[in-house]
Amino acid sequence: MEKRATLEVIAPTVEEAVNQGLSELGLPPDAVEIEVLDSGARGLFGLGGRQVRVRLTVKGGEAESAGESPAAPEGVVSEAGEVSAEADDALLRLAEQTVAELLDRMKIRARLETRYGEADDDGRRPVLVDIHGDDLGVLIGRRAEILNALQYIVNLIVGKKAESWVQIVIDVEGYRMRRDRQLRQMARRMAEQAVRTGRRQVLEPMAANERRIIHLELRDHPQVLTQSIGEEPARKVTIVPK
Amino acid sequence: MKDLIEYIAKSLVEHPEEVSVQEFRRGDRVTFELRVAKEDMGRVIGKGGRVANAIRALLRVAAEREGMHVTLDVIEP
Repeated sequence: MEKRATLEVIAPTVEEAVNQGLSELGLPPDAVEIEVLDSGARGLFGLGGRQVRVRLTVKGGEAESAGESPAAPEGVVSEAGEVSAEADDALLRLAEQTVAELLDRMKIRARLETRYGEADDDGRRPVLVDIHGDDLGVLIGRRAEILNALQYIVNLIVGKKAESWVQIVIDVEGYRMRRDRQLRQMARRMAEQAVRTGRRQVLEPMAANERRIIHLELRDHPQVLTQSIGEEPARKVTIVPK
Repeated sequence: MKDLIEYIAKSLVEHPEEVSVQEFRRGDRVTFELRVAKEDMGRVIGKGGRVANAIRALLRVAAEREGMHVTLDVIEP
């Protein structure tokens, strides 16, 4: 089981949210603390209504459940395996809460997982918010238009509230990870083609974050140079043989 | 949908008390008029309309779930 210390679930009722969270964590009810963050409300015109939002926090140490590994996590367990106090980190909570508030008002049912990503060259760590759930294709949209809009708005809101540098990366069911891999492969393939044909290759229009992936992938390529041309939103990467 | 616009706008402006959203429904079409303080206009529109367009994108997701077509206008005070 993947270890994590807090889990936020959005569902129509508290009971559903709690059950969904427990089955996700693979824990019995007494192994977690349940916090109702939003008890929901009836919507205007009786339509929809706001869903409830519940946070489950895995109890540390003393409340170990039978069958669980003896090292129950006390904080969020980072990928390196060390226990940190991330569950109480104000910025992570703010980011997660902002995403939850937006999804709730978009009538999207989802589960959020929030953590820090790897530090960049300047030692700054982005906040990663992963959205999990069924039928979340609507949240991605064509060329990730919706996902990028959500990420942009969340960065603006959290940046304003936190009053400091913050970068939040939002992903839906691993979409960005898959897309990242796909873009890198395409970059390699098109570079090969540029070298083979001796002709400049023009890629399809992409958002800035995606163009960056292509540039970085081919930064150290001995035989090609990359360059972005055109105006947003039709700006695209070209791969030119040296 | 209205609560989505209000939440985003109030989170971005300097004068949340001056945020107002009016809703006009006609069949399966709904139009929202967002008003904010004059000095907050740039914060909800953004450079090249980027913020307003992002709000519209999220709004479309909410609207589709209700089978509606939605328009968002930011009204000059």
